[in-house]
Amino acid sequence: MLWKLLKTHISASQLIGFSLANLVGLTIVILAVQFFRDVQPVFDDEESFIRKDYLVITRNVTSAGAMMGGTSEFSDQDIADIEAQPWCRSVGRFTSSEFAINATVGLGNSGRAMRTQFFFESIPTDFIDVADADWSFDPSRPDVPVIVSRDYLSLYNFGFAATQGLPRISEGQVGLIPLSFTFSGHGRNEVMSGRIVGFSNRLNTVLVPDEFMHWANDRYGEGNITRPLRLIIEVNSPGDVAIENYMADHHYDVAGDKMNSSKANYFLTVIVSIVIAVGIVISLLSFFVLMLSIYLLLQKNTRKLQDLLLLGYSPSQVARPYMLLVLVINAVVLVLSVILMLTVRLWYLPMLHAFGVSGASIVPAILVGLLIMSLITAGNLLAIRRKVATLWLQ
Amino acid sequence: MEKIELNNTLPKVFAGREPVPSDVWQCDLAFERGKHYLIVAESGTGKSSLCAYLYGYRVDYTGTMRFDGRDIRTLTIPEWCDVRQRHIAYLPQELRLFPELTAIENVQLKNRLTGHKTENEIRDWFEALGIPDKIDSPVAKLSIGQQQRVAIIRTLCQPAEFILLDEPVSHLDDTNNRIVADLVMAEANRQGASIVATSVGNHLQGEFIVYSL
Repeated sequence: MLWKLLKTHISASQLIGFSLANLVGLTIVILAVQFFRDVQPVFDDEESFIRKDYLVITRNVTSAGAMMGGTSEFSDQDIADIEAQPWCRSVGRFTSSEFAINATVGLGNSGRAMRTQFFFESIPTDFIDVADADWSFDPSRPDVPVIVSRDYLSLYNFGFAATQGLPRISEGQVGLIPLSFTFSGHGRNEVMSGRIVGFSNRLNTVLVPDEFMHWANDRYGEGNITRPLRLIIEVNSPGDVAIENYMADHHYDVAGDKMNSSKANYFLTVIVSIVIAVGIVISLLSFFVLMLSIYLLLQKNTRKLQDLLLLGYSPSQVARPYMLLVLVINAVVLVLSVILMLTVRLWYLPMLHAFGVSGASIVPAILVGLLIMSLITAGNLLAIRRKVATLWLQ
Repeated sequence: MEKIELNNTLPKVFAGREPVPSDVWQCDLAFERGKHYLIVAESGTGKSSLCAYLYGYRVDYTGTMRFDGRDIRTLTIPEWCDVRQRHIAYLPQELRLFPELTAIENVQLKNRLTGHKTENEIRDWFEALGIPDKIDSPVAKLSIGQQQRVAIIRTLCQPAEFILLDEPVSHLDDTNNRIVADLVMAEANRQGASIVATSVGNHLQGEFIVYSL
């Protein structure tokens, strides 16, 4: 009966207007959050064994520089300068092998073998994020673990094996391939077995453990002191413009697309932030539309509300129907916006599958929607309370 | 509630005016439970204001009003709701019915809050007041005299120690005045309640202590 009395003057068009506006705003916000989370893995190649906040740099080799006898090595001074930069957390040096290496790869039962000259590099173990516990070397049981660029495998599988009638190899099979290395130098000529323990997407080299490299350089090298040709740098944020400027000023090259993907990631973040801001603005505006609508409604029903108060109804009893109205509307809007978000997601998710993205959890986006809706609802309810309270004295 | 006291009260709009002789304003006065009072006033002397002060929806007066010694300015909103539901029944002069609801719905809106009367008792009152055929009519369709009777029924749908009636019979003929007076008096006596009625001319019939405003 109270509802029958108080529902007069409720403007359906105003409430629908609010609901639509809020639906659009809220959907934009949670869709942006969900999309950002779904797309993020494309930019964050977490499986890469070089973690995302590492950069590999080399000195820019120009033909002019080479003819002038310019060096492409990094001096201790260069390294100290990089370490002094605010964006730099630590610097690791690539150590090259200073002896001749021949690698022999047996190809199954065919009896055929590939033999090639080879090289090794190593970086401090701290810079390597390999789950494989075998990333170590024990001179008493010589067996060399190797990480190679994933490109090499592709090169073999799609370039070499396909045309030469050789079997293709999966990553899992690679560890089973018998590999042997012949090291020569310092008057020695020794053979050692090896195995490939992992692949890198970003690091275009053949990596061995640092401890092996030092042991082998001592054993086979001529004792020349060589400076690193490549550095690996742990940075705060790979997309930092300061890093880019520094690299350009010093004619350093950054390997791979690390910085580009960081930039793309940065712009994605910016765009998503803008979209979320727009969504929040729409939600806020719709909040005020509902506020106005309810104020108007309470204003039109002022006399009725005051009459009810005179009968002994408490302000909260009188406000309750309006609060319920707001709660129902807001709950429906929230549910609809989640459904809308999921619908749009169903549409874009297949496109992301091409990038190997399977989609993130929808819980955070729903929580964001819930949070925004709770704030809006709390604001609405508070305003109704205050408005009804002002009706007490006539 | 046993006693309503007024100490030197005066509507603020009267402040600074030539003092008019009054038994109520700027006097010390008490309404005691069980006695019946009639406040006779001319229009514009503040009779509805007095009701509004006593029902807590206006505070624009000087002086003090007390319920059982408690200054009513200190009552909280929940306490006022309790007063309105269980201690003072009030018939506003302008009736304050909801025109879009039927007569019975108007009464039920109050009775549901207090649970004071049964549906049958309410129907009996409609019968007694001569408007049984109007029970399910929208109030907007009733004459002013019929509306006044619906409002009186609504007023009585609550326990009370004081029944405050602002011009309860202004639109009623003598016969209906007598019927209303008997009904209100019977209900008041049953609860041991006081009647405080105001009137500009058409007095509620019965034995009253008379004050002029």
